[in-house]
Amino acid sequence: MVRIPTNVLLVDDEKDFVEMLSLRLNESGERVTAAYSGKECLESLEKKNIDVVILDIKMPGMDGIETLREIKRRFPLVEVIMLTGHGTTETAVQGMKLGAYDYLLKPAEFEDLTSKLEGARKRKDEQEERIRKAEASLLVRRTGDF
Amino acid sequence: MKTGEIRLLLVDDEDEFRKTIANRLTKRGLHPEQARTGEEGLAILARKPVDVVVLDMKMPGMNGIQVLQLIKNKYPKTEVILLTGHASTLDGVEGIKLGAFDYLMKPVELEHLLGKIRQAHEKVLREEEKARETEFRLKIEQQMVSCERLASLGTLAAGVAHEINNPLAIVKEATGWMKLLLAKQEPTGMTRKEDFEKALGKIESSVERIRRITHQLLGFVRKEEPAPSEVDLEALLEEAVAMVVREASHKEIQISQRVDPAAKKIWSDPYQLRQVLLNLLTNAVFATDRDGKIEVAVETRGEEVALSVKDTGKGIPRENLERIFEPFFSTKPPGQGTGLGLFVSRGIVEKLCGRIEVKSKLGEGSSFCVTLPRHCEIRQHLEDDDRLRLLDKIKDIAKPIVQ
Repeated sequence: MVRIPTNVLLVDDEKDFVEMLSLRLNESGERVTAAYSGKECLESLEKKNIDVVILDIKMPGMDGIETLREIKRRFPLVEVIMLTGHGTTETAVQGMKLGAYDYLLKPAEFEDLTSKLEGARKRKDEQEERIRKAEASLLVRRTGDF
Repeated sequence: MKTGEIRLLLVDDEDEFRKTIANRLTKRGLHPEQARTGEEGLAILARKPVDVVVLDMKMPGMNGIQVLQLIKNKYPKTEVILLTGHASTLDGVEGIKLGAFDYLMKPVELEHLLGKIRQAHEKVLREEEKARETEFRLKIEQQMVSCERLASLGTLAAGVAHEINNPLAIVKEATGWMKLLLAKQEPTGMTRKEDFEKALGKIESSVERIRRITHQLLGFVRKEEPAPSEVDLEALLEEAVAMVVREASHKEIQISQRVDPAAKKIWSDPYQLRQVLLNLLTNAVFATDRDGKIEVAVETRGEEVALSVKDTGKGIPRENLERIFEPFFSTKPPGQGTGLGLFVSRGIVEKLCGRIEVKSKLGEGSSFCVTLPRHCEIRQHLEDDDRLRLLDKIKDIAKPIVQ
């Protein structure tokens, strides 16, 4: 079966980490775009079609939570997985309250990452499917009016 | 203050005078010991503690000043009232310089003497109080030093753990990527592929080992305040036991649970308690051999509740008993334990106003007991109070030095 790659946007100020995880995710069949700050992340989202953002919480400048807020405001359908280097989960929980799909503690198990990635992708697909159906029924009803 | 409590000694070579005074003091509720000479007086002092000595200056053998010096030297807490013949104020003044409480001129008026004795006794009590306070302060200071040391150790550990986690994540991803590449290689494309795979596997398991340590360290210094809520110890116990039951059944270890219904519900932090319980259970399973038993119990213990984990394992040698709560102390083979479990557990239990105790006998097993109050008040505030009190005191002490 041909797997449809997930379009992943990986956001972390730690360049080596982004590079290595991108290589690994690409190698296992995803399509990864890299961004090194919250600002770059939002710019990429403007330009590219992204399914899931993997977002580091602790970044200089615009931090993960701020970026998340902005993503959810401007691209509500894009799913976000938070990455945290702290042992603290509060920020991650805060992120999930703001609409993030899930969180991962760094360094994360690759299997955890891929299963969460899949989950996030699925949620996005289902949501889009529901929207399509709703639009379709709207269209049917409208045509019925005539 | 009851005069009856004053332990009094009269030293005077004039029998008539001494007995009269002693009689009259007895009528007033005092029970003075009597001595005819300085030597006799010192012998009494050597036998039992005395608060106040009434001491005649002029005696055959050792004179008053000599006796005074010996008393002050050997029993600094004892107060001495000197009795001088008249017109010998000089002796009295010298006595005070040497540490006497005061002097009275003969002939003595009883009321006056009684008053002085009481004053001297009050001074003794005040000094005792002061000594107790100093001791208390020293104890707190020591506690604070170790507390502060732990706190700074914690901050350092968290910093190190955090700094290590980031590069560790890079190593992990790089290794994972290489494994993927290797898996895709044509069999002929590379020589000694298995060796590379083996080495990568070693890197991965070592990363995992480091990750366990850093996460435990971060868990220990987690800034989270304990979040007290009602805890169902029975449910907590079952949950924790369920997490080790698979490991235990491999070794055919039986785990039995006993919960006193009256002790079941307490007010504490369930998540942190679960971590403690899980640590104790994992240790017990590790220490217990095939076909052993582990008993977990929740009991009422007076006002408190006791949670105990008892195993029939190999026991802890006496020389290790003191050390098991130290950070990084572990008897597990390298890579299997972080040496932080009990250290973290003790930290948690103390934060939850409880204490953790261990009893162990080599070859028979160990028993860990966590005693907790039914209602946990958050410890941090208490420590802060102690700290503020101490700071105030340090300021008081420092002032004269600074000036």
